Amino acid sequence: MEHDKLSRLLPDDVDRREADGLDATWRMLGGIDTPPPDSDRMRARLDAVIDAVDHAAPPAPQQWFFRQGFGRGIRFYAVQGFAAAAMLVAGIAIGRFAMSAGAPPPDSASEIAAMRTEMRELREMVSLSLMQQQSASDRLKGVTWTGQLERPSGEVVSALLDALMHDPNVNVRLATIDALERFASREDVRRAAIEAVDRQMSPLVQIALIDFLVKTNERQSAPTLRRLVQDPRVNDAVRSRAAWGLQQLG
Amino acid sequence: MEAVRAGDLPKLGILFERHHRALFDFLVRMTGNASAAEDLVQDVFVRVLKYRATWRGEGRFETWLFRIARNARADYFRTRPPDAPIDEAAEHPSGAPLPGDLLARSRDLARLQQALLLLREDKRELIVLARYRGMKLEAIADLLGIEVGAVKVRIHRAVKELRDIFQRLDESPSWNTTNSVGSCPTT
Repeated sequence: MEHDKLSRLLPDDVDRREADGLDATWRMLGGIDTPPPDSDRMRARLDAVIDAVDHAAPPAPQQWFFRQGFGRGIRFYAVQGFAAAAMLVAGIAIGRFAMSAGAPPPDSASEIAAMRTEMRELREMVSLSLMQQQSASDRLKGVTWTGQLERPSGEVVSALLDALMHDPNVNVRLATIDALERFASREDVRRAAIEAVDRQMSPLVQIALIDFLVKTNERQSAPTLRRLVQDPRVNDAVRSRAAWGLQQLG
Repeated sequence: MEAVRAGDLPKLGILFERHHRALFDFLVRMTGNASAAEDLVQDVFVRVLKYRATWRGEGRFETWLFRIARNARADYFRTRPPDAPIDEAAEHPSGAPLPGDLLARSRDLARLQQALLLLREDKRELIVLARYRGMKLEAIADLLGIEVGAVKVRIHRAVKELRDIFQRLDESPSWNTTNSVGSCPTT
């Protein structure tokens, strides 16, 4: 270590004997170790964040393809191809509807509304499809994409709740909690969050859920949080956060 | 960092590998809690990602990173309750008895660690940066926005106060229970 000797760091006018005395404390500080970080877990979480941010505004497809590797590129293009085909079908259907012989010309406002509905359903379909993929990164992308949906259907909320309860990947479950925040006014979402905080095995997810319950001021979660605080088998950090949550919820 | 700023976000992984241990060490010594420190390291890199456009390439990257870490820590404890401190048993996970000298040394170290956590945050931070991170006086001055001379004076005061708390804990082990971090006596 560069600063093993304290005297070099003290003002020039400090008494020599005093400096030596303090140096003993300084040297002793060198004996205090810290636990090592869980680098792998931290890196995995960071990669998930980078991936989500990176693909929120995707670069040119060619660059993306080569950076992600062939297998992931194929999956990406399969989803894109599927989306493009669906858009083509929707376009043809809308065109036929507009051009159908003998029918009165459709009113343009309703036509635009119909197209918007088609687009919304398409985006939803892509999000839901991504959430069913085998790769955690794709599922994470699917969860993130639901945030861009204007008026998601109940099916999206159900898929998010299902991911929260059953997805094997911690990062996906964490992203799901963020995605569910916009549906916090729904009774089923709040009930699922309370149920999940009890069932989750990951302390990270449990802590995120407690924060969610506090943020949404879900007072009905108090008995569950109290149970967590009192359960000695529960992770210390979770118990401490649950205690804090109870305090916040009054 | 230049590449990350230019949009090559996966390069952040390289910066993470290079700096996360130092950041974790700083934050775990500051918070006394490993899981809070891990969360904070994560937060620091998310902030790097978020504010990448503000990196000007002037000064040292490490100083910029630690500035972000200091802000992240302050924000973290503004919204969350302090967690449990590091378990002393983590120093000796086996729990096996130690020989006399080692046992005494181990007790002294535990007491010193306790004293460090009782030290006021700004003073603890100076000791952690200088002693454990080996940061140069100029870098600390830059990070804290003060003169090098002021850094020296503050380090002097901080170590004196640490030694005093350490001695008080020896004389009266229950001293810490009646004295909060913010109310440590100054010398």
